[in-house]
Amino acid sequence: MALLELDDLTKRYGGIVAVDHVTMRIEAGEVRAVIGPNGAGKTSLFHLITGVVKATEGSVRFADQDVSALPAHVRCQRGMSRTFQLTSLFPEMSARENTRLAAQARDAKRWMPLGGGAVFQSAAQRGDAALERLGLTHVAGRPAGLLSHGDQRLLEVAMALAQQPRLLLLDEPTQGLSVEETAQAVEVLSALFASGELTVLLVEHDMEVVFRLAHKITVLHRGSVIADGDPDTVKADEGVQNAYLGGFA
Amino acid sequence: MRLLLAAAALLALLPFGLPPYAMTLLTEALILGLFAMSLDLMVGYARLISFGHAAAYGFGAYASGNFLLHTSMPLPCAVLLAGLLGGIVAIGVGWVCTQATGISFSMLTLAYAQLLYAVAFKWTPVTGASDGLAGIPRNPGPFGVTWWSTHAGFYYLTLAFLLGAFVFCRQLVRSPFGAVLRGIRENEAKTIALGYNTRRYKIAIVAISFGVAGLAGALYAPFAGFANTELLFWLLSGQVLIMVIVGGAGTLVGPVLGAMFFLYVQQKLSSYTDSWALFFGVIFILFVLFMPEGIWGLIQSRFKQKTV
Repeated sequence: MALLELDDLTKRYGGIVAVDHVTMRIEAGEVRAVIGPNGAGKTSLFHLITGVVKATEGSVRFADQDVSALPAHVRCQRGMSRTFQLTSLFPEMSARENTRLAAQARDAKRWMPLGGGAVFQSAAQRGDAALERLGLTHVAGRPAGLLSHGDQRLLEVAMALAQQPRLLLLDEPTQGLSVEETAQAVEVLSALFASGELTVLLVEHDMEVVFRLAHKITVLHRGSVIADGDPDTVKADEGVQNAYLGGFA
Repeated sequence: MRLLLAAAALLALLPFGLPPYAMTLLTEALILGLFAMSLDLMVGYARLISFGHAAAYGFGAYASGNFLLHTSMPLPCAVLLAGLLGGIVAIGVGWVCTQATGISFSMLTLAYAQLLYAVAFKWTPVTGASDGLAGIPRNPGPFGVTWWSTHAGFYYLTLAFLLGAFVFCRQLVRSPFGAVLRGIRENEAKTIALGYNTRRYKIAIVAISFGVAGLAGALYAPFAGFANTELLFWLLSGQVLIMVIVGGAGTLVGPVLGAMFFLYVQQKLSSYTDSWALFFGVIFILFVLFMPEGIWGLIQSRFKQKTV
């Protein structure tokens, strides 16, 4: 059974169709990349899946339930955790506090107004584990706003991971990184995905990154899916070559 | 922590060394300190700027004034009940105001305060209209307990409320709930994306903040013996915001110091000139420019330097 199913998902802004009848299935344990040129609707698709924006038509099914009508924070509670295209952190809190607050969101007693030592403790445990998996333990005590850009990108992934999500959504995880930083981030991420316990949907610009990380690739062009399959099939696809890859492979 | 205990002990001993006039001033400072501390919960911890905090203060004052005038409810009960009532009403206020964010939120809080201000002028049976409520008594408790009706007694009652509220607020901001508030302060979109229903947290902190401000107002009515529409006026909302910023937002202690400082400077300056507010405005600007951490921030950095 697919973990995430998109059916005829469409988003119109007035006359502009940002996402055009997209149908997609993501199986548990899969690492899927969505690629496409600028303005292809990748980020819009992300917003529709996570509930930041409501679809004009079509449905989003997550873990066998229709979540189309649910607001973003409820979908997150069901097990979707995301990162943002532009780094979004709590800059004055330490890296550890960032992951702790992320993990706390998954605790039934996250709202406790008094006491709550146990809530903090278990959240900190999950947060620290996530920091370690992304190799950030050495900067855990530093304010997030003072970390290097590369570490900030990874910290955002750590925050999502600390929530122990069923579906991890990464919006351009290497956006704005230098060549070396990108190589490092890809190293860390591929080690993370190698375990096979995560289901990942990632939007990415950098083709090298995509072909290193993804098991399957969906190509968007002007809001609709023009190809779908494993990396080699997609690379060989003529339509994709014309629309996007421009002879990359 | 040790510093705070010392401060509490000092405040408890002060009645033995001060003339009655100074005691009155100090009591008022503590009441305003409680008021400023309540606003700090919103401003300092959730970055929710209330321009209408006088609404909560005036509401508390009129509520306790009515309880004390028309029932034989003991003074501390009247104060507590007025604060509780203010907090419950503020759930609705918070629900309306948090429809908006940023400056629009602030404007809605101001609108609510101005609404109460207008109502207070018309609803004569409850508010006494422009005359206000006068002769508000300090009702005794059961078995003839009256210790809070004296100067020193009322001071201790106020101090007890301030310390109790402080301990409560400190627990609150250090709890998981408080951690989410800080998340909202730093990056609300991210807090939502992490799965928090931030609106509920904002409504809750508005209600708690207004409730504590209501306690302060409810203490003021029997302290001054009257309640009038000035307690609901926007000028007071502005002044309490200044106390928070001058004292140091996001520290709870700072705003109490800010209130004391404000009252002290007001007393000193107003004996020289009627336009004392002008000079205080200059002081405020200097604080914002050169000491954004406020008085408490200054004290803390001094302490750290010494201990290093």
